[in-house]
Amino acid sequence: MAWNKVAVVGGGLIKFGELFEQSYEQMASGAFDAAVASVDKGFDPQLVEAAFVATQRGTLWGQEGIGGNTVPTAIGLAGIPCTRVENACPSGSDAFRVGAMAVASGVHDVVLVIGVEKMRDKSGDEGLLARAAAGHPVYTRGETAPVLFAPFATRHMHEFGTTREMLASVAVKNHFNGARNPNAHFKNEITIEDALKSAPVCHPLHLLDCCPQTDGAAAVLLVNPDRVAEFTDDPVFVAGFGVATDHPYLHEKNTFTGLRATTMAAERAYKMAGVEPGQIDCAEVHDCFTITEILDIEDLGFVEKGKGGVASLEGETAITGRIPVNTSGGLLAKGHPIGATGVAQIVECWLQLRGQAEERQAEIRNGFALQHNVGGRGSGVSVINILTTNR
Amino acid sequence: MTNPAQIIAVGAAAPAWRLPASEVAAAWGRKGGRGQAAVCPADEDVLTLAADAALRALAASGLQTDIVDGLWWGTSRPPFAEGPSHAFLAAAIGLSAKSGGALCAGSTHSGIDALIGAADAVAAGSARVALVVASDAVVPGAGTSFEERAGAGAAAFVLTNDDGAATLGARVTRTHPYLDRYRGDDELETRDIYDGRLFREEVFLPVMRDLGEQLSALEVTGWSLPDPDGRLGAAAAKTLGAGTPASAGVYGALGDTGAAAPLLGAIAALDVAGRVAVVGFGGGRATGVVVNADRPVPGAAGLAAVLGTGRSATYTEVLRARNVLQPNGETVAMAVPPQSAQLVRGADEILGMLGARCVDCGTINTPPTIHPHCISCGSSKFVLEPVARHGVVHTYVINHTMPAPFQAPLGLAVVDLDDGARVMLQVAGDGSTLEIGAEVDLVLRRYAYERGVPVYGYKATVRTPDTTEEA
Repeated sequence: MAWNKVAVVGGGLIKFGELFEQSYEQMASGAFDAAVASVDKGFDPQLVEAAFVATQRGTLWGQEGIGGNTVPTAIGLAGIPCTRVENACPSGSDAFRVGAMAVASGVHDVVLVIGVEKMRDKSGDEGLLARAAAGHPVYTRGETAPVLFAPFATRHMHEFGTTREMLASVAVKNHFNGARNPNAHFKNEITIEDALKSAPVCHPLHLLDCCPQTDGAAAVLLVNPDRVAEFTDDPVFVAGFGVATDHPYLHEKNTFTGLRATTMAAERAYKMAGVEPGQIDCAEVHDCFTITEILDIEDLGFVEKGKGGVASLEGETAITGRIPVNTSGGLLAKGHPIGATGVAQIVECWLQLRGQAEERQAEIRNGFALQHNVGGRGSGVSVINILTTNR
Repeated sequence: MTNPAQIIAVGAAAPAWRLPASEVAAAWGRKGGRGQAAVCPADEDVLTLAADAALRALAASGLQTDIVDGLWWGTSRPPFAEGPSHAFLAAAIGLSAKSGGALCAGSTHSGIDALIGAADAVAAGSARVALVVASDAVVPGAGTSFEERAGAGAAAFVLTNDDGAATLGARVTRTHPYLDRYRGDDELETRDIYDGRLFREEVFLPVMRDLGEQLSALEVTGWSLPDPDGRLGAAAAKTLGAGTPASAGVYGALGDTGAAAPLLGAIAALDVAGRVAVVGFGGGRATGVVVNADRPVPGAAGLAAVLGTGRSATYTEVLRARNVLQPNGETVAMAVPPQSAQLVRGADEILGMLGARCVDCGTINTPPTIHPHCISCGSSKFVLEPVARHGVVHTYVINHTMPAPFQAPLGLAVVDLDDGARVMLQVAGDGSTLEIGAEVDLVLRRYAYERGVPVYGYKATVRTPDTTEEA
């Protein structure tokens, strides 16, 4: 039996990309407006009682100490309670979970969850790549983001015979989907050949195995199910969620063929929602790199461990496949504005469950969609939210 | 009367790169260029070379590192011009925090100074086991006459007062207040002062002749002679009637290794019994020490492998590694600056590559300071110990995309060590020999030169057929 103590009545995002012309505040405002406009029966912004904002790192645009008070003024709601939730790459999905708990507790009836990330105000070298020099002066030196996932690709290939073509097939599929999403960063289709021939970034990962650096914002509106009829006749409910942590450093891992944080979070989320992996109709999972999606679909129980590469190559995760994954284009094509990512994934699940995903609409049979992020140092945290249309 | 100091084992080390002299000549529009010289990549320096040589000598001696009473280290350019050079090296070798010794520096004579200082301490009974290390990585002025010959390397001797394969005997010193090689405050590069002919006729050869006459009287069978420019060594040998000195092979492979040169040349002669005159030169001084080898000295045979390895480097690569060729624009600063408390807390565990072994389940947690609880069982009872220095690659990556000052490609490997510890480290070299299952050794390397301060840590080096024997 699904948890269903919170309803999602609206969701929207701005078009992701290199938004050099927009400020953090303008992006936040755009996402909030899109969420408000999406509500079936209309929505008065003044109804928002509290906000939870996900922004992972302000240092990418010169803000050391951003906090919960950053967003309300920008969206015209100065004065409301607002709390920043930071939990690495799953910041957006965890802000959603925290917002849902705020509603479920009975403290608030109407809550805004908004993710905003400005990643392209600094040049590449001074932006995310600068993390090569972050962390421990010796043990993590040289550890750019791909270093956190490439060792899993090396080992997955070694143990299961996963190939670069299988990795590339994930990028090809997600670019195909992204080309059908008006809000995606990249709207071009690519071929396996393109991916194989792209420049090496962090062996065995090449450029098209990697998500881009993207500016973006996304917002969703959560309400007490008792008041859902004020906003829509077609609500989506929070069926359950799961969060788990794992050791933060790569050398502390026992295995390099899966992400333990995801496995544990999935177990908790499925139990809370009362579903099995086979009942999930579509999923938005963390594909910061192609190998990550392959690990995810195994760790989430969609395919057998070791078979993620083959399943991807054979189209099992395509929109028309057995379990459509990342119909939005995923992080690889839609983009990965960190704090906004999880919230945007929720928006995609919400659209899919309501049959509003247009060209990229998956077949909804059981009424369940799953959203997943994994990240942090050593993929040390994973957050999963499961949504449902089943009352 | 106390016993003279005896050598029980020796070790040698050279950096990864060899710069062909023809590369340097071509860069300056000259034809030709004979031979090659050893050069440090960005992650090696006098301290890492010293650690490599010292650990090999100690391994050949069969002694535990913690019974060494003192470290005598000679180098013309300590990694910290003023700073904890000696303490860093002692920690990296795993010497007791109570060990003594001295850092001899300031000229290429410092290698022989370190040997004499240690020998005197052993003879006087103030040290029972002394470790001598001479290391250098000469940075020549670009375009100088000796640039093609400026090399890098290290030699280490383990001395005790009995039971050695060789004994340190008579010594002779001559001092002359002349400049030879020179480097002032704030100068990175060593320069030549004199006209080559002036140096040869009025400084080098007269000193060698004077010293050589004294040493020749001692029925010397082998020589380690200085060769500051690739020709003077042969000239000195001719003057002394020394034939081809044992040191010639070292110069041929590594170039002029500065303070390390006399001891490396000695090692070349110590794989057989005999009487070797070891001559150090520099800083207006020359000193010869006679070494009587009763039998081959343990570790000496390892020199051939050290001389035979190394990969050819371009002049451009060398200029980058020496920081002469620098990228335009800002480099990315280390988030933990050298003055951070983290490097005070972590000094011993980083330089000594320590792990925390869980008393309850045996899991080794690295580094200890960030693991108050065991990653396997949660216990908080640990024993600190150095982790094993050999293991096997479990998985790896090769990073091609990093901002300056990083240099791609950079290998990073998750390594399962022989004692069960799992670590993740950078890989020395370009990563081209990395594969799952590859055997690696852990070696001290310079991770960064951060805000003018060297930062050291361990890297993995992949074992190849060339390096398996010595390790």
